[in-house]
Amino acid sequence: MSWSKVRPARGGVWFAMVAAGLAALGCVSGERGERSGSAAQPLKIGVAFETLQTEFWVAALDTLRQESTKRGITMLQAVADGDPSKQFEQVRTFLGRGVDGIILVPKDGKTVIPMIRAANAAKVPVVLLNRPADRTDAPHTTIAPDNAAITRQTVAYLAERVKQSGRKAKAAILLGDLSDINAIGRRDGFEAAVRDAGGAIDVVARVPTEWNQERALAGFQSAMQAHPDIDLVFTSSDFMLPSIKSVLSAMGRWKKVDEAGHVLLAGFDGDPTAYTMMVDGYLDATGVQDVFWEARQAITVLEQAKRGTSAPARVDDPGFAITQQNMPMFADRMWGAVMARQSHRP
Amino acid sequence: MTSVASALPWPRVGAGGSVAPLCVAAFAAFALTVPGFATGTNIEAVLIAALPLLLLVSGQTFVLVSGGIDLSATAVVGLASVAGGLVMSHDVQPGAGGLPPAAGPVLMVLTGALAGAVNGVCIGALRMPAFMVTLTVGMFSGGLAVLLVRLAADTETLFNLPRAFVALGGTPLAAGLIAGVSALAAEVLLGGTAFGRMLRAVGYNARAARTSGVPVVAVTAAAYVLSGTFAALAAVLLTGSLETASPAHGRTLLLDVIGATVIGGTSLSGGRGQVWGAALGVLFLGMLSNALTLLNVSDFAVTIVKGGLILVAAIVDRAIRPLRA
Repeated sequence: MSWSKVRPARGGVWFAMVAAGLAALGCVSGERGERSGSAAQPLKIGVAFETLQTEFWVAALDTLRQESTKRGITMLQAVADGDPSKQFEQVRTFLGRGVDGIILVPKDGKTVIPMIRAANAAKVPVVLLNRPADRTDAPHTTIAPDNAAITRQTVAYLAERVKQSGRKAKAAILLGDLSDINAIGRRDGFEAAVRDAGGAIDVVARVPTEWNQERALAGFQSAMQAHPDIDLVFTSSDFMLPSIKSVLSAMGRWKKVDEAGHVLLAGFDGDPTAYTMMVDGYLDATGVQDVFWEARQAITVLEQAKRGTSAPARVDDPGFAITQQNMPMFADRMWGAVMARQSHRP
Repeated sequence: MTSVASALPWPRVGAGGSVAPLCVAAFAAFALTVPGFATGTNIEAVLIAALPLLLLVSGQTFVLVSGGIDLSATAVVGLASVAGGLVMSHDVQPGAGGLPPAAGPVLMVLTGALAGAVNGVCIGALRMPAFMVTLTVGMFSGGLAVLLVRLAADTETLFNLPRAFVALGGTPLAAGLIAGVSALAAEVLLGGTAFGRMLRAVGYNARAARTSGVPVVAVTAAAYVLSGTFAALAAVLLTGSLETASPAHGRTLLLDVIGATVIGGTSLSGGRGQVWGAALGVLFLGMLSNALTLLNVSDFAVTIVKGGLILVAAIVDRAIRPLRA
């Protein structure tokens, strides 16, 4: 570790270049970051997302950003690229910066628990957005959709169509990864709606997908070969709709809602693909997680905590079912519709 | 062996010293311009986050000095984490409490060393290209980690680890001691022993080293075993601090590992490098990441800035290489 061996010329060049570059970066960004902080002690929050790889999370982050600007809140943001240790580092950075609250989209329900504990130790409230933690005694707030209720409402719309037709339906459900609490809730909501239908729906295929597009395609293909008379399909996530379309198209059964031979079809999420399929008339309904509401609510919880109100443990996103009937009324609240319109889809 | 090593030419050392003013410049610039940077809690956050990376770069330095590269190191972190979780987690082993407390960490370290040995044998004895071997061992390790955790618990992570283990990796003081002592040992091994001199000689010119009597195959293999072992120690820290064994641990660190080592003055062409320089490289990247997050710079921009700096460091390394010839 001999300092005498350091070559001053090279070290000096490094020093000068980096000092100038970093100072410039710091000045420019620092000015921007502090501008909104000039008022009397505005709220300062940290937002750490596990990923931004789907449109749902992009919509959530955009909403948080817009809402923070609107409410005069300084928002620090970070994305962990699926690495929980990186997310923990980001949480520590937020805590070091002295944020008033943290909104987290964790990689999973387990690795987030030490992060919640670290925030608890610093007396900083934590909101988990859309993804709950495993059971823990570390206080935090979870804002998540009521998967079962929204799915039940969505499938009830299909059941109503079945009853109106005066016949019985043979149904298939594409299940999510059943180690995921969201997938379990959606399955339970589907089964409850089937029971509510009082025998009008006979479930002949339960297709495991583990949230995998290829597995969904292969599984649904097999189900349709085994039961070609399936005429009602529910997918636990809209991202599997293209697989369903592919199989039904190959069988000549990809029909619009008002065409003979239409397969009743519903999903969950409310993504841009679902919106496009609804506008085109192929999808009957989808359960919508109200990501705009969830994001606004997350900020509200942190604002209330700053004012001294104790944060609730759970806030249910009631969501809603968007159907061919109520689409004109609800489309503006569907995040997929907003994103589809922004990207000039229909 | 000592006489052979002492007879070898000493390659130029000390180039990593230029990273010290770099760190000072970064700290001064960020302290002056980034709100909240120069606070005690923030500096503590930077140091805690740097510990697993410090272990990874310590191991990587051995490999780079030997003239190779270990692209499997971060995947080995995930595999070692899962290996430890399989014997320690009460989710998988309801009777895990009956095992000796050291069983989990020891198995993790052995897993890392074994992965390193596979790399070392293929590269040292079979003379296969390092980037190809370590890339494929990394892919294998990553896939195996996911498979094992799914077979054992039908999930992606293992929770409910023993409290003593969580304290080992999750307590800043314990984690700091593990990382600090390990990095110091690596510095001594590389800079003050016959093995270190032989490693430099191999990296500088393997053929000449062989002619001089250096056991090139064994020395090369040892460098990869050390890299795997240090990756496993990083896994102990990450698994403990997140209280979860997961194949995802360390997944995004590879750029930082190579970057910190090169910024710290270790040559990509082999023959030159110090652990302490790499440690300063870790500190520099840690401060940079932290400051950019505090400045609300987007994640993509952070990656661009880091990638750019590492490229500059590699160019500087290439530019000064003729000086040592």
